[in-house]
Amino acid sequence: MHETEQHDLSDDSDYAAASRHDVSRSILRSDSGKSTTSEAGGSEVVYSKENVAIHPTQYASERISGRLRLFKQGSSLFLSWIPYKPTTDGSAVLQGQGSSSVPLEKDRYLYTIKSLPLADVHSIRRHTPALGWQYTIVVLSSGLAYPPFYFYNGGVREFLATLKHHVFIVRSADDANVFLVNNFRDPLQRTLSSLELPGVVSIANRTSFHKPRISMSSLDDPERVNGATYDGTSSTSEYSGQPKKSHDPARDISIQVLEKFSLVTKFARETTSHLFCDSHDGLNAYEKKQQNNYSSVKHTSSQSDEMEKTSDMSPVASDPLEFEELRLIWGKQRMHPLSFEEWTSFFDSEGRITDSKALRERIFYGGVEDDIRKKVWKFLLGYHEYDSTDAEREYLASVKKSEYQVIKTQWKSISAAQAKRFTKFRERKGLIDKDVVRTDRSIAYYEGDDNPNVTILRDILLTYSFYNFDLGYCQGMSDLLSPILYVMEDESESFWCFVALMERLGPNFNRDQSGMHSQLFALSKLVEILDSPLHNYFKQADCLNYFFCFRWILIQFKREFEYDQIMHLWEVLWTHHLSEHLHLYMCVAILKKHRKKIMGEQMDFDTLLKFINELSGHIDLDWTIREAEALCTCAGENGAACIPPGTPPSLPIETDMGLYPQDDEVL
Amino acid sequence: MASRRRILLKVIILGDSGVGKTSLMNQYVSRKFSNQYKATIGADFLTKEVQIEDRLLTLQIWDTAGQERFQSLGVAFYRGADCCVLVYDVNVMKSFDNLNNWREEFLIQASPSDPENFPFVVLGNKTDIDGGNSRVVSEKKAKQWCASKGNIPYFETSAKEGTNVEAAFQCIANIALKNEPEEEIYLPDTIDVASGNRQQRSSGCEC
Ligand SMILES: Nc1nc2c(ncn2[C@@H]2O[C@H](COP(=O)(O)OP(=O)(O)O)[C@@H](O)[C@H]2O)c(=O)[nH]1
Ligand SMILES: [Mg+2]
Repeated sequence: MHETEQHDLSDDSDYAAASRHDVSRSILRSDSGKSTTSEAGGSEVVYSKENVAIHPTQYASERISGRLRLFKQGSSLFLSWIPYKPTTDGSAVLQGQGSSSVPLEKDRYLYTIKSLPLADVHSIRRHTPALGWQYTIVVLSSGLAYPPFYFYNGGVREFLATLKHHVFIVRSADDANVFLVNNFRDPLQRTLSSLELPGVVSIANRTSFHKPRISMSSLDDPERVNGATYDGTSSTSEYSGQPKKSHDPARDISIQVLEKFSLVTKFARETTSHLFCDSHDGLNAYEKKQQNNYSSVKHTSSQSDEMEKTSDMSPVASDPLEFEELRLIWGKQRMHPLSFEEWTSFFDSEGRITDSKALRERIFYGGVEDDIRKKVWKFLLGYHEYDSTDAEREYLASVKKSEYQVIKTQWKSISAAQAKRFTKFRERKGLIDKDVVRTDRSIAYYEGDDNPNVTILRDILLTYSFYNFDLGYCQGMSDLLSPILYVMEDESESFWCFVALMERLGPNFNRDQSGMHSQLFALSKLVEILDSPLHNYFKQADCLNYFFCFRWILIQFKREFEYDQIMHLWEVLWTHHLSEHLHLYMCVAILKKHRKKIMGEQMDFDTLLKFINELSGHIDLDWTIREAEALCTCAGENGAACIPPGTPPSLPIETDMGLYPQDDEVL
Repeated sequence: MASRRRILLKVIILGDSGVGKTSLMNQYVSRKFSNQYKATIGADFLTKEVQIEDRLLTLQIWDTAGQERFQSLGVAFYRGADCCVLVYDVNVMKSFDNLNNWREEFLIQASPSDPENFPFVVLGNKTDIDGGNSRVVSEKKAKQWCASKGNIPYFETSAKEGTNVEAAFQCIANIALKNEPEEEIYLPDTIDVASGNRQQRSSGCEC
């Protein structure tokens, strides 16, 4: 029990803030079950639940756990959610990514709800999925929605029952999972319930709310409040340590949660700006900021008073710098591409890139403009080191140019007579010859008879097959090289960029297909945790090999998008921001987008393959990247754990066997 | 015979990369030849409605990547096949030599119930090149091989000119249909609509 002391909120800065509403220390400690009534401030905790967590989706892949309470002051009911304070050794940082404790710290304040008057709440939506954890979404009268609260110890029902006891709650006529807190004639009601997506398991009507038997006395009973095994000690271990394997909530995150939440957020944005147009009153600073972000409505200076006046009511920390991040609760807006001016600002006087992480993150969110792509790709691909100087790179280019010529000469010097006795060479060259004339010929750069660029493509691929003789040439490589040559417009530079790319993607072309199989395996695992109904469908339909995603993965979606989109996508993927395997999350995102059709039409393997192939040219790239980002963040470490070490495009794990296992095949 | 339902026949095209599998399929289905087809990655298929005598059939023609490295995917793509088309390039000896490998690989991966009698068709493609002067595999040699493998029907085609493509696929449809079992005990999902009372019919195949 001593451990609970370290999570006592009395030394928490949030605690002080919360005290403004006279929530006394004794109340905050009422989880011990000894006291629920404050002697000091006239506040009364009527509901308290440990391990209610949110999943911040942008700056931390972990969940943030905290304590959700309802408390009464006079006749008004308030809601608070205070995240646990991380201990100095970081043990309260869930899922143990020590390095991310800084963003987590920020998030804690970002999402803290010190005291939200229930009078400001429009409705509460509950979701108790068959798979996964119960959560609720609190929607404010403004239309703004908080991120979902996940009740890791259960208790959604008690939460709602308690609310019902203290404020006027009515279940929405349109949706039994929506509880309207204040005004029911609001048109928002219908909009909100229309968020219900088809195909989502509805458990409406199964739970009875007619017995508000949760009372203060029941709060004294730890078993009632926190579930059968709860006591203070176990609570501590739940939030300060690794979640138990068998009980790992993030594994169960059902995709509907994500869909719903992104919709709620979108809905909230729209509604907020809509309301603002109707009325300029009654909005707090936070909401106004939201309007600035989403609807570009300009505030007049006369409103600043009001903003200050209401800032106390802000549901989050009022530091203006943090508003920026609130917008990012779900899927960040794509940015404009990195411009030349911005790009140059990343260099020091000698031409080093000082903050490569910031650069990569910037590119992740917007790609780069055409005129700097040539320079940027060399870094992203790893051909240039970020901390190299201009002079070093210039030197490298000349060294590499002659090195390229040396390798190229190896096959250039094979005479026709020698080639006759060199079957392997002839066949390899024949294969490449056939493929380069089938590669992107509709792009002006490669079109027409006797196009010299097609010859350069051929020469680079043949040279590569000598540079990496074990791997040789494999179909798909010409697709990967084509945009690189188009961008670099230089044979040697293209070759070395391609070499760098193949450091990571080479295993896609292994003779035993091991690189592909590990990615397809990881994909199946990701779908399993991110959309288990879809996974179960694939399993039952005998589609778990995921071969229908083969083309997507082998050549990084090259055949699915237009040429300029592919360049954008690749630079995004190559930043390896968030994950080296964002492309797998993209696969999940696209599959999940069509899940209803796939399952509804009971697609078999053949139909699915055809369906996927025909998506080519019809995939919304920005949407897919955003969704993949959200899925990746949401899956967090559990997602990363689905992907075996060394899975491309991670750098391969070297063994004594050489990088490219051989078999009898000659090519 | 309006009561008869349409049935679906699955045909797999195999052969070395570049022999013209994709071109043949497109020539047959859309009567077009393009120099801009991309090398096939993974697999894809096209469907075409055909009529044989009074029967309407849907031919589902599967085109796969030709490089040996990708053969392990075959397990998923070949299953439920009714006919396998082996293609080689009459100008490339190696592509002919590989026919045997392709045939065996198919039988292993598709594991049809009666491998001895599973229907194959062989196509020698690109007869148009150089007016036939650059060909290295003679028609005689090809026919000998086909005879040795249980009288596999053989066609010489040009996907570019469209020569013999229609005839070849007519034959393919016929022998695929013959391979369909009398009783429809197919998995329902490999077939559009199961047909009940179908008679065994003689092949309209001239080969
Ligand atoms: N001259 C000629 N070229 C052909 C013919 N069929 C295919 N080709 C060309 O051969 C190359 C490979 O064709 P493709 O159909 O992609 O072969 P696949 O790899 O077997 O699918 C392409 O450049 C085609 O244009 C043909 O009948 N005659
Ligand atoms: Mg092809």
